[in-house]
Amino acid sequence: MLRGVLGKSFRLVGYTIQYGCIAHCAFEYVGGVVMCSGPSMEPTIQNSDIVFAENLSRHFYGIQRGDIVIAKSPSDPKSNICKRVIGLEGDKIHTSSSSDFFKSHSYVPMGHVWLEGDNLQNSTDSRYYGPIPYGLIRGRIFFKYMKPRIYEPMETASGVRASGG
Amino acid sequence: MLRGVLGKSFRLVGYTIQYGCIAHCAFEYVGGVVMCSGPSMEPTIQNSDIVFAENLSRHFYGIQRGDIVIAKSPSDPKSNICKRVIGLEGDKIHTSSSSDFFKSHSYVPMGHVWLEGDNLQNSTDSRYYGPIPYGLIRGRIFFKLPSPRFCSKLEMARSKRSLHTSVCCG
Repeated sequence: MLRGVLGKSFRLVGYTIQYGCIAHCAFEYVGGVVMCSGPSMEPTIQNSDIVFAENLSRHFYGIQRGDIVIAKSPSDPKSNICKRVIGLEGDKIHTSSSSDFFKSHSYVPMGHVWLEGDNLQNSTDSRYYGPIPYGLIRGRIFFKYMKPRIYEPMETASGVRASGG
Repeated sequence: MLRGVLGKSFRLVGYTIQYGCIAHCAFEYVGGVVMCSGPSMEPTIQNSDIVFAENLSRHFYGIQRGDIVIAKSPSDPKSNICKRVIGLEGDKIHTSSSSDFFKSHSYVPMGHVWLEGDNLQNSTDSRYYGPIPYGLIRGRIFFKLPSPRFCSKLEMARSKRSLHTSVCCG
C-alpha cells in the first residue's frame, strides 16, 4: 500500500521534472509571452501590453538595428528591460544632447549593443548606463497583442456628446 | 510498414528532445564539467585543466568575493571567461598600478562584479574591460581535477636551479 503510494508520487515528480525541463527549454530557445511594464517604450509598447518574444535570433546572433529586445538589466540582474537596439558593435553613437555646442560621440565596443527606449524623455537606457554586453540579451519582440479598446463618449468642442466607434 | 518506421522515428525524435531538454536543464541549473584554457588563472588553474562548475549559486545570488566564476565574455558573447571575483557591487577597487604616484580607485556599480585573473601579468580582465554585469555570470567553480604531471629531465634541471623539488604527479 505504502509502496504503491511512494511509487506513484515518484512517478509524478518524475513527470513534473520532465515536462518542466521541456517547457523551460521551449521558453529559453523558442520564445514566449511577456508582459511589459513601464513608459519607456511608448507609444510603441504601452504599459501592461502583452508581447510575444522569440529567443532564436539571439542564439544565432541575428539581432539587428531597430529590433526591440528583452535583456537582463545591467543594474539589477533580477529584472529585465525592454528597449530598442540603436547601435551594434562598432557603430558610432551620438551621445550629446541637441543643446550642446560640441557634438560628442562614442563607438559601441565589441560584443556590446546600444539600447534606447522609444520614449526618450522617460527612459533609462544606454544613455544612462552605457552600452550593454550582447550576452545580456534574452529575446527579440516580434509581435504585440492589440487589446480591443473600449471607446467612451467624448465631448466635442460645441459640447455635444459624441461617441467614437 | 512505412507507418511503423515513421512511428518509430517520431518516437526516437521525441525521446531525444525529451532527454536533451532534461540534460540541458541539468547543466543550466545544477552544474557540469568545464575545461579551462589559457594562462590567466595560473597557478590556481592551469591550461587545459578540468574543473567542475555549479550553477546554483548564481541563481540564488550567492556569488561571493574570492569565488572563481565562469562568465560570458563581455567583448565576445560566443566565448566564456574564467576569473576570480575581486569585488561585488558597491566595493572600492584600486585601479592604479603600484608605480603610480597617485592612487586611483573606483566603485563597482550596482548589479556588476569586478573580475581579475590570478596571473595578473597575463590576464585580460576587469582592469581592461571594466566591471561586468552580474547577469553574465554562468557558474561557480568549486572543484578542480588534479592533473597528472609528467616530469622531464629538463624540468628537473630547471627546478634544481631554482632550489625547488619537482613533484611528478598531482
